[in-house]
Amino acid sequence: MKRREFLIGAAACATAGSVMAGGVSAQESAARARIVIAGAGAAGLSLAARLRRQMPNATIILIDAKKEHHFQPGFTLVATGLWSPADVTERNADYVPRGVEWIEQAVAEFDPDAKAVVTAAGQRVAYDFLFVATGLMLDYRAIAGMDLSLIGKEGIASIYAGPAQAAASAAAIDRFIETGGVGLFGRPAGEMKCAGAPLKVTFVTDDKARRKDRRGAVKLIYNAHNPAVFAVPPVHDKVKTLFAERDIAVNYSHVLKAIDPGAKRATYATPKGDVTLDYDFIHVVPPMRAPDAVRNSPLPWRQGPLAADGWVEADKATLRHPRYPEVFAVGDIAGVPRGKTAASVKWQVPVVADNLVDETAGRTPQKTYNGYTSCPMVTAVGKAMLIEFDYDGKLIPSFPFIPPLEELWVSWLIEEKGLKGAYRAMLRGRA
Amino acid sequence: MSDFNPVTLFFILYESMGVWLWLLLGLALVLLVGIVTSVLRLRRAGRPVKRPVIAALVVGLIATVAATFAVPAWTLAGPGALSAAIDYAFAFLFALVPGAAVAALVFMMAARRCVSRGAATV
Ligand SMILES: Cc1cc2nc3c(=O)[nH]c(=O)nc-3n(C[C@H](O)[C@H](O)[C@H](O)COP(=O)(O)OP(=O)(O)OC[C@H]3O[C@@H](n4cnc5c(N)ncnc54)[C@H](O)[C@@H]3O)c2cc1C
Repeated sequence: MKRREFLIGAAACATAGSVMAGGVSAQESAARARIVIAGAGAAGLSLAARLRRQMPNATIILIDAKKEHHFQPGFTLVATGLWSPADVTERNADYVPRGVEWIEQAVAEFDPDAKAVVTAAGQRVAYDFLFVATGLMLDYRAIAGMDLSLIGKEGIASIYAGPAQAAASAAAIDRFIETGGVGLFGRPAGEMKCAGAPLKVTFVTDDKARRKDRRGAVKLIYNAHNPAVFAVPPVHDKVKTLFAERDIAVNYSHVLKAIDPGAKRATYATPKGDVTLDYDFIHVVPPMRAPDAVRNSPLPWRQGPLAADGWVEADKATLRHPRYPEVFAVGDIAGVPRGKTAASVKWQVPVVADNLVDETAGRTPQKTYNGYTSCPMVTAVGKAMLIEFDYDGKLIPSFPFIPPLEELWVSWLIEEKGLKGAYRAMLRGRA
Repeated sequence: MSDFNPVTLFFILYESMGVWLWLLLGLALVLLVGIVTSVLRLRRAGRPVKRPVIAALVVGLIATVAATFAVPAWTLAGPGALSAAIDYAFAFLFALVPGAAVAALVFMMAARRCVSRGAATV
């Protein structure tokens, strides 16, 4: 009998016993499983908190070298100049639940055949269940001429890289509005986290220019990576209309491949060949891929559209690895369509946690993830559209009284005041 | 929506506000105790609660309406951000917090005056 099956059998008996004795609630499992979570970001911490409460006898090990915790959805507000980097920076230590071991190293190697991971310092950590929650890697080097150190200089902005870079981007936007010229925006071709953020930066630049009475001095161009500005058709239609109303030009099927910071020229791959555009300001959104340790492991998809960038193979409803059933992928690293937002994490984590709890307690796992993802699309300071959709691109508003395609202050309220509290509550496994 | 049960909402509020949540709840409790004490004092003095209640409602409503237009500033936006009915409704709901605090204070002050006037006329 395999260890996983033995654990499940033993835990089922123990759970049944304790339920009868009134010791363990129906949402708990008494299994003594060894659970490893790779990555202590939004998904990893939230999972650790839930599993700690729901599996009191399990050994839970978090592995991540990063000590700071960033509230990434707030980077947009830092780039708007409304929040400071300190508003989005916390410590992971404040969120690691009591009773969870934290190995402060990166995972260097995943060895799912041996059910173990190896840390950067060579520590081998065995598991019964593994949750891959490493997030993704921003591949700035994939854009020729681009370098992290350029952010905030030479008219280059990029809000994705971190709080300091988001603040440097805010300053770059302000300088651009003062001096005027051509501003280029866009997104990479592959899967990316918060696909709304590149649009938000475009809208905010337009709004700030208007407020400073400088809109006539700047020309704004959004370079969409394919024939749409957003993958969900009604959202595409709405954003297209708003761009037209705000005199923001759109180039379709333009993917940034190189920049020349000295000459301020950007080269885009298009179906008709490379096109070079002059700019005074550019917001660079890099291609996003799986971190090397994941990419070089047996875990990624081996074929299909999600294979090239190394996203972990996962069943889109249960987030379970089809070849390694004791492995789950949660958060940005999961090789599922869409779903690379903190809002997706909020819905993914209870699914994988409850299913593991049920499975190890001898019950049939029932929960499924519908691809929920959300993005309050900021269209100006004080206005946003609360866009939520599923795998099928169907709009699924959480609040029936908030129309998703209307620019509303109440949606901005959720972005500016609601998200951070909800995110923190999620990290503690309470939302 | 079904996910936003009271427990989840409490945790979201707590994580958003931190110690301010306890300070706010403490203030609400103090005001509540103040209101109850004022009502008891009015009763003991044989004075009607009607006038202090009307004063509290009028001033509280004015404070709420004024605060409604200040709420967007709390979200780093200008009053012009309010456009749809749902925006005004939510801003009004948030403005009810300072509005209710002002109403409670006015009620206590008016009740005190009523009681002391009553005592003076005896
Ligand atoms: C600019 C911007 C705007 C956004 N806006 C929104 C928004 O409005 N709404 C929304 O819901 N979401 C938004 N997001 C997306 C959201 O922040 C992410 O989807 C979410 O953080 C994903 O969580 P995660 O745990 O998968 O990854 P992360 O939170 O990135 O955490 C990954 C963790 O894994 C660690 N790690 C990496 N490699 C290894 C390794 N080899 N071993 C161990 N650990 C490793 C990292 O150090 C990190 O701590 C935005 C993101 C950005 C950048």
